[in-house]
Amino acid sequence: MSIAIGLRATAAAVRAGERTAVAVVQEALTRIAARDGAINAFTTVTAERALAAAATMDARRAAGRDPGPLAGVPFAVKNLYDIATLATVAGSRTDRDRAPASRDAALVRRLVQNGAVLVGALNMDEYAYGFSTENTHYGATRNPHDLGRIAGGSSGGAAAAVAASLVPLALGSDTNGSIRVPAALCGVFGLRPTFGRLSRAGMRLFAASLDVGGPFARSVEDLAIAYDALQGTDPDDPACAIRRPEPVTPTLREGIGDIHIAVATGYFSNQGAPEVFAAVERVAEVLGTSQRIEVPGAGLARAAAMLVTSVEGAELHLPDLMTRAGEFDPMTRARFLAGALVPGAWYSHAQRLRRWYCQELTKLFSNVDVILTPATPYPAFPIGLASIELGGQQLPAAGHLGVFTQPLSFAGLPTLAAPVVQTGSLPLGVQIVAAPWREDLAFRVAAAAEALGVLASPSPIAGQDIVGC
Amino acid sequence: VAEPFDPALYVPQAAAALGLPLAPEDLGDVISAFAVLARVAGPVMAFPLPEELIAAGVFVPDEGAAG
Repeated sequence: MSIAIGLRATAAAVRAGERTAVAVVQEALTRIAARDGAINAFTTVTAERALAAAATMDARRAAGRDPGPLAGVPFAVKNLYDIATLATVAGSRTDRDRAPASRDAALVRRLVQNGAVLVGALNMDEYAYGFSTENTHYGATRNPHDLGRIAGGSSGGAAAAVAASLVPLALGSDTNGSIRVPAALCGVFGLRPTFGRLSRAGMRLFAASLDVGGPFARSVEDLAIAYDALQGTDPDDPACAIRRPEPVTPTLREGIGDIHIAVATGYFSNQGAPEVFAAVERVAEVLGTSQRIEVPGAGLARAAAMLVTSVEGAELHLPDLMTRAGEFDPMTRARFLAGALVPGAWYSHAQRLRRWYCQELTKLFSNVDVILTPATPYPAFPIGLASIELGGQQLPAAGHLGVFTQPLSFAGLPTLAAPVVQTGSLPLGVQIVAAPWREDLAFRVAAAAEALGVLASPSPIAGQDIVGC
Repeated sequence: VAEPFDPALYVPQAAAALGLPLAPEDLGDVISAFAVLARVAGPVMAFPLPEELIAAGVFVPDEGAAG
């Protein structure tokens, strides 16, 4: 059984005519059929569409036409992205009876236009309201590094599919950490771009003032290539900024000599297991930084993010909560219902506090370019675990996973979650955080740390029959 | 002085005001979930903000950079 070769290598081989897109896609489908039963990352495999698209691409190339920079790259998307002819379920049972999507989501179209081939839809927490992808309707997605543990969420299927090398590229979404948490727990690279950078048209949103889409991959370069292909304005998403694409691939190897890096302290050096802070320190040491910086108001930001999320999420689903709440996943139902009851003043104050917080962070980024923090407070925990002890305190095991991600997304900051090379068996991640619209700096730091050997995506499941690369 | 807050009283009444039916088997969990929100709302609401601090209609991440 082959594993997925990287995105760049796959596209290069197809473009050069060394491999056909059909062969690449067929191998991906074979891997998914063989291994996904154990992982449960996929909820739908679009085999027929994928093979037809690959055949079309091979014909284009044979006719002398450019098959695109992502030629033949198999990818899959969290099942809140519209896929033409399929109902967009967003991890729910309620939406199974929605009308099929008339066309692909904007980000899916961008990848397809660049030559990538969609092979399926991926599991998630219902309506993205969770950090563990323990979905009652579709089953839990299992962590490829320990099948008894969670993959993280809510984009757990996306992270697990890439971690298990079923596909070299997947798309997720991130409201409060739903790309960064599963990337960290599954040991892959994941990007939450600046809020407003990428179009969300055709995505089933969760909390509209926080949601962004973003890619997962197994190397910094692959992540950069995918991100560059996803950029561009879109009038179909009112939050998508009117901004020219700012590709990060050309500057990826420029080094970090001029980038001022600091480790977040205070809030970001508590409420986690010792190994997560040690992992961040290792990255900082390799990058040669000893500076510390405190993010003002991080705890308040997390609290306000929880209020904003609960209100926007509940309002979006209010008609279904009114008429068929019993069909919601027991993992999300009570939180959605409670969000519907939040007093308006709490929400408005939280949104105004957000502006104050953004102003504070703007000041912070006048002193530093990139901030390092842990991605999660602990590695993946066993599926089904309700609470976890930390420093003598019992905490909700899944809910607390967002403690380090929520304050950063509340300010819309671009954040790259990257796997830190570990001596233990379970992956851990670092967040590489930059000022708004400076994804390029986060990518350059990640590329430097990867080249120095402190960031890498660990191999898929030990003991599996995996050859070649 | 405000009365001590009791989510077990608030949740059924607020749901009734909204016309949101709550199944008896869900009520306890909804009360617990709302209690969590009330707890996190405490410090948020206690944080004073000047009136002139306006939330944007469309959130822009670097709006604080103006001026």
